[in-house]
Amino acid sequence: MTTEMTQKLISLSAQQIYSLFTYLFSSIGFVFLFKKCGVKKRWAFIPMAREYHLGLCADKEKDGRGYCIMVGLLFVLEILAELFENHTRIYLFLSIPIIGLFVTIMVYLMRIYLGLIKVFERKKLWIIAFLLLEPYTVLLWGLNPKFVPSKKIEDLSEVTGAKEIGKKLITEEEGLTVNIQKRSVIDFFKRKILLKDIHLHIPKGHMVLLLGGSGAGKTTFINAVTGYEKADATITLDDKDIYADYDKMKHDIGFVPQQDLVRGNDTVMMTISDAALMRLSKYASSMEKENRIARMLDQFGLESVKYNLVDKLSGGQRKRLSIALEFISDPTLFILDEPDSGLDGVMARRLFESLREIADGGKIVVVITHTPDRVIDLFDDVIVLAKDASRTGRLAWYGPVDEAYEFFGKSSMEEILLSVNQKDEGGEGRADEFVEKYADRVKEKVG
Amino acid sequence: MNQDSTRYIGRVGQTFVYLGKLFRMFLFQSDWKVLPMSAIIAALVSFAVGGNIFKTMEGTLMGAFALSCVCVWNGFFNSIQVIVRERAIIKREHRAGMHISSYVASHMIYQAVLCVLQSVITICVCMFMGMKMPQGSLVTPFPLVDFGLTLFFITYCADMLALLISCIAKTTTAAMTIMPFLLIVELLFSGSFFSLPEDVMPLTNLTSTKWGLTAICSQGEYNSLPMVSVWNSALKMKDMEVDGEKPLLDTFIYLEENNYRDELLEKSGELNQNPEFDFDTGIVVKCWLWLLGWTVVYVIISVIILEFIDRDKR
Repeated sequence: MTTEMTQKLISLSAQQIYSLFTYLFSSIGFVFLFKKCGVKKRWAFIPMAREYHLGLCADKEKDGRGYCIMVGLLFVLEILAELFENHTRIYLFLSIPIIGLFVTIMVYLMRIYLGLIKVFERKKLWIIAFLLLEPYTVLLWGLNPKFVPSKKIEDLSEVTGAKEIGKKLITEEEGLTVNIQKRSVIDFFKRKILLKDIHLHIPKGHMVLLLGGSGAGKTTFINAVTGYEKADATITLDDKDIYADYDKMKHDIGFVPQQDLVRGNDTVMMTISDAALMRLSKYASSMEKENRIARMLDQFGLESVKYNLVDKLSGGQRKRLSIALEFISDPTLFILDEPDSGLDGVMARRLFESLREIADGGKIVVVITHTPDRVIDLFDDVIVLAKDASRTGRLAWYGPVDEAYEFFGKSSMEEILLSVNQKDEGGEGRADEFVEKYADRVKEKVG
Repeated sequence: MNQDSTRYIGRVGQTFVYLGKLFRMFLFQSDWKVLPMSAIIAALVSFAVGGNIFKTMEGTLMGAFALSCVCVWNGFFNSIQVIVRERAIIKREHRAGMHISSYVASHMIYQAVLCVLQSVITICVCMFMGMKMPQGSLVTPFPLVDFGLTLFFITYCADMLALLISCIAKTTTAAMTIMPFLLIVELLFSGSFFSLPEDVMPLTNLTSTKWGLTAICSQGEYNSLPMVSVWNSALKMKDMEVDGEKPLLDTFIYLEENNYRDELLEKSGELNQNPEFDFDTGIVVKCWLWLLGWTVVYVIISVIILEFIDRDKR
């Protein structure tokens, strides 16, 4: 019996030693492979992180995430299976998801290695070598100087972004004061700074255009300003701290999302009535609520369709309903994400004119739109956000529309956007230049 | 109208706002279709297995299993898509001050009404189809009310499980993919209908079919019913010859001629009683409590999961 157990132990440890050897062996291969692809070498030795970074090397970031999660789950299940080795039924029960995960991992692995083969511009047949002799193939690809990737991962951790303003604005008694130091998130083994050093003050009665390319941080900026996703920042609206009084101020800030997220199977009237019940003060009388509902129907041209189902409305009517739902609480700060998407020029113009009226009523209106030039005359100011060299959203301009043209040396908003967009996005890649120029300008003004 | 008095409608008020919305959608959308659907399923089941339910042990077990499955099916279909189909709207409304607990509470009340209606419809259809109903009452003075409550608890438990799936799934396709998988688990782990290994038996406590089936069998006085399977199996061998004679056939003729058949069937039932199906108030109440317990668990998890809806990507 004792001899049997000793033999079992020896055979187990030999198996474990072999697994460890294979892991280390392939890790060495990954060290060299990661180096070629521009990934930090230390990730080659860390389980799960290695799988994710392999996905990055293969230009398959999403698959890398999936692969990493699946490998993590497999580890957990394998540990459980090891613990319940003597309980045959539990062991068998656990083996079912293990088999499922194994198949999933193989699929992810195939996708990632095919991606890697594409990045290294090699024949697809290499996939067989990767799947059957992974450690040796990885080592070969890592050590052989003939295997060179066609694209490398940019390591942005060492890149210094454009210089900062660094000075906080003094909170004004009226209007919106934004002082964002930083907004960062931890995302799969790395910290990403989404926004940095944004300081501005928007007076009441202003309609502001928020301009920025894809990934410049427009949504992050809006979420930070409205308190929906808190940043390292101080945001005040009429000397009230939005972050500190978020619950109380929730209805003083209206946000209209890009999509018309309204239930299609309810009537316009009932949809607005429910919004009134939810967003008006509980102390508001029935008369006040009814008046407000009537005013919304009138202001947004929904009176004639008030008994219609939302599904039966036209695109423009639905958009106006979506706006009315937020405006019913009469917010001081009103933010709209692409309210003109899906609308023709005439409809869009009418919509922006009604927003201008809202701003003229002493409100702050901030609008994101991808076709700003057709309605730019209605805006007072423009905020230009741009990705700097470290891919962080930065403030490249905040001020009057006319001065923006002069500052960027352009004659339209679309040209301004192109000038700050990255070169790989078809832009001029001058974001850092304008961020720094704007910082200097602010410093000069503030002193 | 700048709202300095920043007090808004509370959780209870919000629940009623959403409840109104759900009942309007019941009319405007196709939600009402679940009611005639439950009638059709009940008719099909009573046509297929209603003949022997509450008459023989085998018929009762099979019928109870079928009725539990009907309830689970109804519950699943009631709510599998209700949350997932408006996930983006919920995210917007949560941002604008909607309480998730109020939203889920409104669904709970609305679904409870649907489940009550479906249970009543199921009983009515079964009676119309001539299916025998339980005769003895255990918890309330009325056997039909006891039976109806069991059907309601099974349906509602399954309904809340589907609501949970609807909260977890990101798309309606994903929810509809998970549903059949759960249905199989509910059927397979119902405990008494399929013989399962002893190690797996604790898993049957997770399913509403197990508690529903047990409660229905208990209410149907399973242990006092005759068992016919032994008789029927033996009858198939009546022509078997032993030394040129047919001893089984002779025995059957003797038993029939002397009216021993029913006595034998009852004796057969007596020897195959299952203490879990005793006609006992404690058993039925225990089953109801398990069903309610799971319902509460599903609701709590649903609320917790939906609280994270803000993390949904655009």
